[in-house]
Amino acid sequence: MRRFVAIAMVSLTVIALPGCASNTSRVPACTHPDDSLFQLMAQSVPSATKLPCLTEVPAGWIFSGTQMRDGLSRFWLDSGVVGVRTVEVDLAARCDVSGAVPAPPAPDEAGTRVFISPSSLEPTLATDRFVVFGGGCVTYRFRLPPGTPPALLLQGEEALSFLPRAVVVKEVHDDFGLVLCGAGAPACTD
Amino acid sequence: MMIAYFTAVLLGVLIFPSTARLFERWDAVRLRWVTSLRTDWLTHPMLWMNLLASRWTIRALRWGTILALVVVRRWRHLWVYVSSIVAVELIAYQTSIQMARPRPFGVTILAGWNGFSMPSRPLAGLSVSLMGVAYALIPHGRVRNRAKWAIALVLLAVAFARLYLAVDQPTSAAFGAIFGVAVGLVAFRWFCPNDVFPVTYKRGKAAHLDVGGRRGQAIIAAVHDQVGVDITEIKPVGLEGSGGSTPLRLRISADERGPERYLFAKLYAKNHVRADRWYKLGRSILYGALEDETPFGTVRRFVEYEDYALRLLRDHGIAVPEPYGVVEITPEREYMIVMEFFEGAVEIGESEIDDTVIDEGLLLIRNLWQAGLAHRDVKPANLMVQGGHLRLIDVFFVQVRPSPWRQAVDLANMMMVLALRSDPEHVWERALALFTEDELAEAFAATRGIASPSQLRANLKEDGRGILERFRELAPARPPIAIQRWSVRRIALTIAVVLAAVLFLAFLVGNWAVFA
Repeated sequence: MRRFVAIAMVSLTVIALPGCASNTSRVPACTHPDDSLFQLMAQSVPSATKLPCLTEVPAGWIFSGTQMRDGLSRFWLDSGVVGVRTVEVDLAARCDVSGAVPAPPAPDEAGTRVFISPSSLEPTLATDRFVVFGGGCVTYRFRLPPGTPPALLLQGEEALSFLPRAVVVKEVHDDFGLVLCGAGAPACTD
Repeated sequence: MMIAYFTAVLLGVLIFPSTARLFERWDAVRLRWVTSLRTDWLTHPMLWMNLLASRWTIRALRWGTILALVVVRRWRHLWVYVSSIVAVELIAYQTSIQMARPRPFGVTILAGWNGFSMPSRPLAGLSVSLMGVAYALIPHGRVRNRAKWAIALVLLAVAFARLYLAVDQPTSAAFGAIFGVAVGLVAFRWFCPNDVFPVTYKRGKAAHLDVGGRRGQAIIAAVHDQVGVDITEIKPVGLEGSGGSTPLRLRISADERGPERYLFAKLYAKNHVRADRWYKLGRSILYGALEDETPFGTVRRFVEYEDYALRLLRDHGIAVPEPYGVVEITPEREYMIVMEFFEGAVEIGESEIDDTVIDEGLLLIRNLWQAGLAHRDVKPANLMVQGGHLRLIDVFFVQVRPSPWRQAVDLANMMMVLALRSDPEHVWERALALFTEDELAEAFAATRGIASPSQLRANLKEDGRGILERFRELAPARPPIAIQRWSVRRIALTIAVVLAAVLFLAFLVGNWAVFA
């Protein structure tokens, strides 16, 4: 019986492995546009003209991981103070902003349209911020327990910024002499 | 060879980034050529072909293989299969993170993807899974060779489809496929070598070696050269009662020493040494230093010891087969011990027994006690009746100067075997002629759990008369003798095994957390 249980457990693990997402803890730092992480991110949403990045990881925050596949790039941060996956950032070709209200863009969001979904206070302070731009949309999902100091939310927001896709396209061209297909690049072989 | 090549490439790319540029450009040229073949009518079949490397296809393949291996109870193959998959998935995943290679440049990607591209994880997962099917489920020989060709074709087709769809670069696809094949191949060849763990669909235990084909020829030649007799037939016998070796009956052609006759032989290989090591480790953890649990180091030691035990028992007048010597089949890998075959003998469990047999059984134990020996494996399969007389076989577990506990257990096991074919009261009565009531009481106070061989326990359960309990009723009251022995070694071993298990689980869970 014990043998069957052991086999079942290991088998489940093995079966689950090919379904695992591909995560990495490489930080998408705005200061390193040459990081291949941005190339993969750009490939995941070829139409997006901007790519989300981190200006810095604020003190007390931990960069936790990324997940990239065709159609979606995601990374998330944990707060050492309030918990895991406090902020989740998604890049997709489009997002559903119904129910969200327009908001003024931040200085680094010039040329974009920003929407904020109504906050819920219980059981967690949950707010979604949508930044819509040419060919793409970035969603910031904040999930904070009630009573979290507002400064923490601000810290998270300030750490998030954008990298123009054209910069990554240029890096690929300069490094490899090749084309990073998608927005801002010459046409590729179909 | 291929693994060394890819390791060199991996290190080269990680240490010298300019190498990565070289690969990227080289790949881009090849990929452009493949994608230049794109046409509307070809894209659809390529998308279908790519589904062979989808997570659901691979899951189905793995589930199917695991279920099949469970059904045919091929545990070692199952373990190697699962381990090789875990190894490939984890190494491929970690490598892809380290290399951080994006998807192909310069061409539009036409199919779904997940994560970095080098090595191609779908191809690695598919290839190791398919290799596992070939080595764990398909018998060695022409069919397996054909299966390997089929796998090669499938992998080539899927790799081509993935290049056509520009999901992988040529080197990523090659790395993934070759890596999966190499790990599968090495794992099965190292841990499940075909000559030791053949894939067959005949009944038999994993410990039993296939004695046909080249091994059969080698046995015939070796016995001719080393024992001086000619074998005309090799037949496995008594497999169900033997788990630690492959017992054989050899038919010997007539020669100057006599007419056509039979010899008995036991074939040992390296897997028996490993099995003995694990068995003794398990006993050490479960019961402590109950007896000498030092494993044998080599196959040669196995047969040397059994040959010695046979000669020693014969010196003390115990009715065991006459040894004919040790035969080397493959140096340091396979040896065979050859001995007399008790012609016309039947296992005690299938024979009618009378007082002569009962008395001989009890006397055998008394003689062992007097010689300072214990058989340690007294069970129906090891007691034969030939012409109304009892014969003892399989002396591999014999111990010189055993503990009194073990000697007492031998007595109880013998009495239970004898009672299976008669009744406890009668055996008890006959035993009183050779043993005191106190000795008999000690025997049944010492006998519990693993002290009796599993075949004997199964027979007692099947018998249903409560033979052990009846003997205990007949014996003067005596508290049970504990078989648990605690020592620093046992505690250290237990901690080490638990630690290893925890570390392995933590490794899996840690990676799972990263994945999820």
